[in-house]
Amino acid sequence: MTANIFKPDPYRIADIVHETELEYTFKVEAGVKVDHGQFFQISLPEIGEAPISVSGIGRDWLEFTIRKVGKVTHRLFSLRRGDRLFMRGPYGNSFPLDEFRGKDLVVIAGGTGVSPVRSLLKHYFDHLDEIRSLHFIAGFKDRGSILFADDLKDFAARFHAIYTLDKEAIPGFQSGLVTEHIRKIPFAGFADYNVVIVGPPVMMRYAALECLKNGVSKERIWMSFERNMSCAVGKCGHCKINETYVCLEGPVFNYTKAEQLLD
Amino acid sequence: MNHDIDIKKLQVNCFRQSKVPGEFMLQMRAPGGVVQAKYLAVVQHIADTWGNGQLHLGMRQTFSIPGIKYENIEAVNEYLRGYIEEVEVASCDVNMDVNEGGYPTIGARNVMACIGNSHCIKANIDTLSLARKMEKLVFPSHYHIKMSIAGCPNDCAKATFNDFGIVGIAKMEYDYDRCIACERCVETCASHATRVLSLENGKIVKDVCCCVGCAECATVCPTGAWTRRPTKFYRVLIGGRSGKQYPRAGKIFLNWVTEEVLLAVIGNWQAFSAEVLNHQPRYLHGGHLIDMAGYEKFKEWILKGVKLNPEAEVAERLYWTETEYRSNIHVKPVCGVD
Amino acid sequence: MAYRLSLSRMDELLEKMRESYTIYAPMRFEKRGRYSDTDLVRYDKIRSVRDIVYDEKSHFSPKEVIHPITQALFHFTEFEYRESEVDERPVLVFVRPCDIHGIQRLDTMFLENGDAADPYYKRLRDKVKFVLMECGKGWDTCFCVSMGTNRTEDYSLAVRFAGEELLLEVKDPSFRPLFASEKTADFRPEFVSANRLTVRLPEIKSRDVLEKVHALPLWESYDTRCLSCGACTAACVSCSCFTTSDVAYSENGRSGDRRRVWASCLHKDFTVMAGGHGFRKTPGERMRFRTLHKVYDFRARFGGADMCVGCGRCTDRCPQLISFAATLNRLSGEVDRLNAEAAAATGVSV
Repeated sequence: MTANIFKPDPYRIADIVHETELEYTFKVEAGVKVDHGQFFQISLPEIGEAPISVSGIGRDWLEFTIRKVGKVTHRLFSLRRGDRLFMRGPYGNSFPLDEFRGKDLVVIAGGTGVSPVRSLLKHYFDHLDEIRSLHFIAGFKDRGSILFADDLKDFAARFHAIYTLDKEAIPGFQSGLVTEHIRKIPFAGFADYNVVIVGPPVMMRYAALECLKNGVSKERIWMSFERNMSCAVGKCGHCKINETYVCLEGPVFNYTKAEQLLD
Repeated sequence: MNHDIDIKKLQVNCFRQSKVPGEFMLQMRAPGGVVQAKYLAVVQHIADTWGNGQLHLGMRQTFSIPGIKYENIEAVNEYLRGYIEEVEVASCDVNMDVNEGGYPTIGARNVMACIGNSHCIKANIDTLSLARKMEKLVFPSHYHIKMSIAGCPNDCAKATFNDFGIVGIAKMEYDYDRCIACERCVETCASHATRVLSLENGKIVKDVCCCVGCAECATVCPTGAWTRRPTKFYRVLIGGRSGKQYPRAGKIFLNWVTEEVLLAVIGNWQAFSAEVLNHQPRYLHGGHLIDMAGYEKFKEWILKGVKLNPEAEVAERLYWTETEYRSNIHVKPVCGVD
Repeated sequence: MAYRLSLSRMDELLEKMRESYTIYAPMRFEKRGRYSDTDLVRYDKIRSVRDIVYDEKSHFSPKEVIHPITQALFHFTEFEYRESEVDERPVLVFVRPCDIHGIQRLDTMFLENGDAADPYYKRLRDKVKFVLMECGKGWDTCFCVSMGTNRTEDYSLAVRFAGEELLLEVKDPSFRPLFASEKTADFRPEFVSANRLTVRLPEIKSRDVLEKVHALPLWESYDTRCLSCGACTAACVSCSCFTTSDVAYSENGRSGDRRRVWASCLHKDFTVMAGGHGFRKTPGERMRFRTLHKVYDFRARFGGADMCVGCGRCTDRCPQLISFAATLNRLSGEVDRLNAEAAAATGVSV
């Protein structure tokens, strides 16, 4: 019989960090080669499977930051350190680090969209020499939904960072939507650059339009899509948009392709 | 004109007295509310020749032809012979002598029915063929009874307001493996019926206590996971009526009975009526006879010799007081006007 | 080789075949139809050739033999996911030419899309052989000729029913010994060469036209007509979508099945993610998605044929009497107009 591509493997949970009341980061012991932007199908007996993007990559561990929504993720929250997590992956493509090399990079993330770019940011935190500069705009709804607070502090020290909350300003955070801060990025001063946008669908659309308004060409913009998936291997049909399967060709799309994905 | 007419006799003959002295309205039976459309020519001939040219679609699905003069009734009755032979004897196998005298009794009223499953997507039974079987059991008879047959618990036929109301219901079967958990049945049961379905562990569970057997779940199921059991089942309501004095909705007497049981019960109707009225037919409808006998006696007599099917349920008791009142006595003036 | 066999003789041979094969065919389930006193014709295991409903189109397709409506993938405990078992016996299925094409579409999805074959599909598909049933004149909702799916050579046996007899072509040499002593006949299956319905397929010539197709008011007309019940996708031979979920057996929920159940792009929760956000919120948008998948997206991705094979079962089963053939013809009319407008705008004649 053909190797079973749906069979999940058990991994030990090494740590659980409460990022917010609703979001926990699960650190699992896994020596798997994963690229920034990829995802796993995480499963729990009794409930089912859900696609979760990798938020941290270590030599022998992976991190998944999960919001307590839906049945699958809710169940996850009762697990403890030392418990087993069944999962399969990694799936999907990743951010084009070769394309980013030697150029300026702008990362715009909203809400839980910070998770899929966190490992990318951590990579450049350690290897800033790979790129010319990194501008990072992160937006959250309110102070209660800020993710990775410690990481954000670290990033602010090394990157050009703008952090913002939708409707309030607190120390370290300005007020307003991420789109309102995009014009502060000195696009005209970059010789060559890329823009990564990750967040809820509406946020990604308006952030991209704002970038275009600021003179960014479509080819420079990269997005990561989130879709309902049951299989992650191109069979179940849930993530299909036109002739594209997000699990196979995505989740990362250049904007020239992303704008053609008509839902 | 003749001012000496026995209107009681004419009533039994299915001619109803008009406010115009000497004029009558003929009520032609149409069991199950269906006849071949060609009989409209018969109806038209009677209305144009002896009536006033009008046809009233009778409240109990009769063809009602007003304006017939007393002196023409004999001619009308003679003309009716062919219609009665075909509609009553040929279609319903009614055991009767058809002669020039027209309809022999008014007692058992026209058996009403909705269109049923010959047409309707909601219906669970063939109401017409059942109506014809009923007609054979109750007609002709001097005992008064009103019956109506509804194809499904939607009860467009108003079975609820008849002495005997019959409702076609279905026992549902669920194929676990064919179910795709789309919840169409859950939504439809909630919006159209009694909310007995819910999704549990990725499949449907049912609270069987309160299923009314409407089969909406089968009608909407995209995969054929819900199907009706091929055996037809019936609900029988009794004692419903309109009327000036004590109008009330009928109550469930039998649930989940088979056609065999149903026909045996209706077959006992005339004997029950005779028992209650001491073999002296009176102008009293079935519901009143049930009241006179009391539910316990009614149940005993009407189920005499009836072998109930295993699924059948029978009402233990029936209480009417909460729904029965002298019409209007609960409505009082509120503005001090007498 | 072909043979002429009485139904009773065929039943004797079928009995022998049943020793090594599980045999599926469309069967009549009396009074089990959607409406009272209507029958349901769907696939199940047959015991006699007399069980086979050959003179009527089955309401559901043979795909459920290969892609079961509900299928256990794993049995799980706290410690492992163990793959579900499958009957190793090979399978014979009585199918129509369009069904064989439809199953080829399923093959494309399950075996070719992505990096690896779907093991659950493959383990059933590898065991299946087809018995082709002649269609005669076909039925009034068929449009196989328009879809190019009216003919096929991909079968092991082919059959024509003729009263108390049948004609059988035996193409697969492994079946020949069984029929060695039977009366031969001159028989090759005939295929439908014209349907009562003709469907024109939309020719979407540019990305710009595709975007305009997405915005057509045509789709909104289905907002009030379509119930989003998914009867069409359940009846469709080439619809392949499914959802995976876990079901617990035990009170503590620690053991159970992970299973796959058919899903439908017509259902409003098809795209909904954890957290509640979804796409294609209206029936019209979902109808558009299904339609374009059937006659545009699939071909755009894989090349070759369209996903729709014109069996017309979606039309047969739609409780709202939406004809897929009519939908496609309406769409094609609109696309003609959009193509002409695009050509006029660029000054190129069509």
